[in-house]
Amino acid sequence: MHPIIRLVNRNITISLNPGFLIWQIIFPLIYIFVAGFAYAPLISNVPFGTKDLDYPAFLASGMIGFNIMNSTLVSGIIIWNDRRHGMFEQIMSGPFTRSHYILSNICTIGVIGLASASLIALVGYPVFFESVEFSLATIPIIVFGAITGSILFGSLASIISTRLRSSEGFNVVINTVFLFFAFVSTAFYPAQGVPEPLRTAFFLNPLTYLVDVIRAGIFGSITEFVILEMLVLAGMAAILFVIASKLLTRLDF
Amino acid sequence: MSCIGVSHLSKSYGSTKAVDDISLSVRPGQVFGFLGPNGAGKSTTIKMLTTLIPPSEGSLSILGIDAVADPLRVRHKIGVVLQQPSYEPTLSVEKSFDKYGMMWDVPKKERKKRTEQLILDFDLEHIRKKRNEDLSIGQRRRVQVAREFMHDMDLLFLDEPTVGLDPGARRKLLDYLKKKVETGLTIFYTTHILSEAEYLCDEIAIIDRGRIVTVDTPDALKSRFGNKKTIRIRLQEKRQDVQGMLSGISDCEIDFEGGTNITIHSEQSEMVLLRVLETLSNNSVDIEDLSAVPTNLEEIFLRMVRDAPDN
Ligand SMILES: Nc1ncnc2c1ncn2[C@@H]1O[C@H](COP(=O)(O)OP(=O)(O)O)[C@@H](O)[C@H]1O
Ligand SMILES: [Mg+2]
Repeated sequence: MHPIIRLVNRNITISLNPGFLIWQIIFPLIYIFVAGFAYAPLISNVPFGTKDLDYPAFLASGMIGFNIMNSTLVSGIIIWNDRRHGMFEQIMSGPFTRSHYILSNICTIGVIGLASASLIALVGYPVFFESVEFSLATIPIIVFGAITGSILFGSLASIISTRLRSSEGFNVVINTVFLFFAFVSTAFYPAQGVPEPLRTAFFLNPLTYLVDVIRAGIFGSITEFVILEMLVLAGMAAILFVIASKLLTRLDF
Repeated sequence: MSCIGVSHLSKSYGSTKAVDDISLSVRPGQVFGFLGPNGAGKSTTIKMLTTLIPPSEGSLSILGIDAVADPLRVRHKIGVVLQQPSYEPTLSVEKSFDKYGMMWDVPKKERKKRTEQLILDFDLEHIRKKRNEDLSIGQRRRVQVAREFMHDMDLLFLDEPTVGLDPGARRKLLDYLKKKVETGLTIFYTTHILSEAEYLCDEIAIIDRGRIVTVDTPDALKSRFGNKKTIRIRLQEKRQDVQGMLSGISDCEIDFEGGTNITIHSEQSEMVLLRVLETLSNNSVDIEDLSAVPTNLEEIFLRMVRDAPDN
């Protein structure tokens, strides 16, 4: 077997622990079914592209992007854990190169991101199936969003992992990043009607682009604005990926 | 062909020279001991030999391969247990063995077999289902060393593997390593514990402040100093004049510490001891305690390190 596949196998095994699965499955379910229906009477219809979505459908589709961010932030932490538990050195003295290690982390993040997206899509499907408009054109957009989003957030977590040494600092930074990304975005509520400084902040957040692209894929409303968002998403992912790779290449023991 | 060939190897961190111009050669099938106090440069050397960090200067060949030019080929043939713990916190002991074997591309059936054998050889039966993060430091260390034997290798690097082990486990590990050497394995072993190096190693290099002080077999090291005995005398009370009294005695080295402790190294220990006792009793100096022991490696080591240039 190829060394990268062996490392991906190992990465996935160590990531799939009960805590991670609860984080990945239970939390999004609570959001979709509790928050979705609890807020539905307050937020009646959400305009999206050419459509009017009901709030549970809007939220469930947003949770896909949210979950991709979630799971890839967690798997980006593999590097952090490997350094803390001596596995980084152990692997690098074994039959692997640094490129194997970096590429295997990207593949792991991609696989976990895609799996989380599919899982939430499956669970959320009954909630948003009425408005769903898959087509040959939209499915690749969802996959594109899932992969670029995974790389973006995975790279971000990797960058944080290489920059910070203390676990207190690491937890504070990861949680702050997570809170900002999660709630200053279009995952939970639409950007329309949000007061101005906040609205701009929404668009400084990569999760907004990821969520918008995935929603556009699901509800089949690809506008020029969505295409622009795809470009921004890909650009940000590329930049963060280059920075993360540079930092990882220079990481010493 | 030598298994490890190192010539004029150095590693600097800023202005500190962690390793300073060392050269050595390790033959196949040998256990080579790398012995030195904390901060001597043992781990830095091991990290260079295992391709983790590049040397600042010098060349190194591992199993005939230029380790700087072709690190990946070296990594395929060596086993490494670093000083730092390494473990998969959330996996059980047996699962982490299996995954480690998988990472080394060991076939599944073989992995199962080796896992069982290692659990037996390293007494891990009662903790095989425990998660690595729940193990004690000593257990974790044993698991880390055992895990390395999941894959085949020609050369094994061990950086202070017995730290944290109790005496029983320590001895067991050394005996296990001896058995492995009989099957053709070569081992590079660092430690700061001399009795271990003496028990296990065919050749010992003593390193201090980045430099190799001496390289020899344990026996040669002992015979170079072996006729020497160490006599220790403790006086009942402090006497300023003792040093002057004993200065006339030849064929020995005498150290005075704190006014009441006298340490004498000599090859004619009986003669010297008689003369010392005679002198002390003539001057009515009372002795509280007296012992004479053959100089052991521990003392050779301490003296070597102390006498090293620029100290
Ligand atoms: N990454 C590093 N950066 C700076 N100094 C280092 C680094 N690693 C080791 N040193 C220094 O090099 C010297 C040798 O360290 P080390 O090889 O760990 O010794 P040993 O393993 O014999 O205890 C020490 O003075 C240590 O402080
Ligand atoms: Mg060390």
